[in-house]
Amino acid sequence: MAVVVLSIIPAAFGGVAWGILGGALPGISPSITMALLLPFTYSMAPTTAVVMLACTYIGAEYGGSIPAILIRTPGTNAAAATVVDGYMMKMQGKAGEALGISLYSGFVGGLFGMLVLVGLTERLSAVALAFTPPAYFALGVLGLSVIATLAGESLVTGLIAGLLGLMISTIGTDPVTGLNRFTFDSPELLSGIPPLLVMVGLYAVGDLFVKTGEPDWAKATSEEARIKFPSPALWKRIARPQLIGSLLGAFEGMMPGGGGAVSSFLAYNEARRWSRHKEEFGHGSPEGIAAPEAANNTVACTALVPMLSLGIPSSNSSAVLLGGFLMHGLIPGPLLFVSHADVVHGLYVGMFAGNVAMLIIGYLIMSPCMWLVNRPKPYLMAFIYALVVSGVYAIQNSIFHVGLTLGFGVLGSAMTYFRLPVLPMVLGVVLGFVVESNYRRALVISSGDYRTFVQDPIAAGLLAVAFLFVTGALVRRLREARHVRSAAGASV
Amino acid sequence: MKPAGVTKEASRREIILGCGTLAIAAGYYLLAVRIPQSDIADVIGAQGLPKTYAALLALLSIILIGRAALARRTAAAPEPPTITVGPAARHVGWRTFGMLVNGALYVALVTRLGYIASIAGLIASTIYLQGGELNRRSIGVAAGGALLLWLLFVRLLHIPHPPGIWPSLF
Repeated sequence: MAVVVLSIIPAAFGGVAWGILGGALPGISPSITMALLLPFTYSMAPTTAVVMLACTYIGAEYGGSIPAILIRTPGTNAAAATVVDGYMMKMQGKAGEALGISLYSGFVGGLFGMLVLVGLTERLSAVALAFTPPAYFALGVLGLSVIATLAGESLVTGLIAGLLGLMISTIGTDPVTGLNRFTFDSPELLSGIPPLLVMVGLYAVGDLFVKTGEPDWAKATSEEARIKFPSPALWKRIARPQLIGSLLGAFEGMMPGGGGAVSSFLAYNEARRWSRHKEEFGHGSPEGIAAPEAANNTVACTALVPMLSLGIPSSNSSAVLLGGFLMHGLIPGPLLFVSHADVVHGLYVGMFAGNVAMLIIGYLIMSPCMWLVNRPKPYLMAFIYALVVSGVYAIQNSIFHVGLTLGFGVLGSAMTYFRLPVLPMVLGVVLGFVVESNYRRALVISSGDYRTFVQDPIAAGLLAVAFLFVTGALVRRLREARHVRSAAGASV
Repeated sequence: MKPAGVTKEASRREIILGCGTLAIAAGYYLLAVRIPQSDIADVIGAQGLPKTYAALLALLSIILIGRAALARRTAAAPEPPTITVGPAARHVGWRTFGMLVNGALYVALVTRLGYIASIAGLIASTIYLQGGELNRRSIGVAAGGALLLWLLFVRLLHIPHPPGIWPSLF
């Protein structure tokens, strides 16, 4: 146990440091930061690898607030709410205080998220132990339907992205008969396309291609890099927004498609509503930083609840973490707690250490962070590209994999252009095997009787919820379209 | 007055997307029916779900095309650009394409030239494509970066990379 802890703690510190640096680069989201790290975790012990990835998520959520406060450019989507008051505080000469509030609130939110994660995950997975093949199939369908309806701008494009992911998952050997499908006589495709390559391609390379046309971001001065932790009076003042942020983050993190950005803005609005200093919001309010930062760091922990207990990731970052689990032969879901309880408990310890590490590293890493943010964008992008191709090659010493990742990069940038959401596709790739193998297994057990999916109460319930989600989204979109049409008619 | 929010450009994109995914569905279906039948196959078989996925994708593509075509009729005309498109903006598409060609060249050349030379080339050309200048500084950064990555992967992590023209280093 001591040996395991000895490897977990450095992994937690390393992951947090990597996450803060990645999150601090404008436009590099937590999922991209994690995707860049994925290939490097391949040769690590499973527990060390997943701890490092999870702690990268934790660090990136805080890192995003650094450029948000210093240069008015959020490093991550979740830090967008921090820009409002963070940058105002910086303009008032209080950049150090703003960074301190962000770091401390992220730490508080992270600890709260850990409590929720540990308290809920195993209970939920205990329920999931009663799952049969029809229920697993239904769970996969539910996960895909929920993400497809919530991600992106349209239900149809979300479903298309999910289906494309499912199609990619059919490449390789058929899970029942062992026949080759869509392999084009290529030996490299026999074992299918690893989800890791899809994620690195879609998130990291695709983003790199998209960002080619974007201008360089503003630069910060090094005098702003000194963090000042809140005074006891300020501690007291920001306690309520931190609680609001933590509660909303805990709830939103577990909701499919919720994520840090939604929870941050919700927390900001609620903190203003409950504040005694409403007038300060938008003009440099410490509460306006504390609430969103507590929320997005809570999300970094609670987003793992559905992923660990049911195997369904609720956000891009938890999907990448799921990829890390799969890469090491670990299948998140109820059986993970039975077959690899040591990994789960190691992850808890690592994430707790990661939250503490964030407080220490967040304080120490400011200078390297500023140095990195101030590098010219072309140089940074060039190194990210080099790191991706080198890291992907390192997984199986395969040039074919590098080419495949570049192909998914092209697909990712095309998806951005056509506004096709990435998460449903990633989920389709990840869940494709679970959906198909359990669907067919269920039918083999029931001798081809399709009623098995409605006779199993869990499967029937999950499929009903999936149906409600899709029809609910459809009805909502139709109503919106009718509203737009009637508004247009009235204005003619 | 046309409804705000839906522009002809957005509808055009959706129609192109729908046509593209429809073509993917057709191609995927044709490949799916060619999967041989197995004697030990279950009731669904290896073809079963792929054919269903293709049919669903085709259906959704048709819905997308139909919806976009309807929206196009009532769509607002695109707003006139507020910023003059300069030569730099016009080159963005080419630069993005260049990034892909850059990666493809790396894949094609790394086994022949070796890791250090190829990755240095990739870094230098990416700096240029991302808007940087190719000068002594950027070439120095590319060479230093290649050396750093070689140290990280080959020496520190002991992950072999293609030796190419300099086998003694690997």
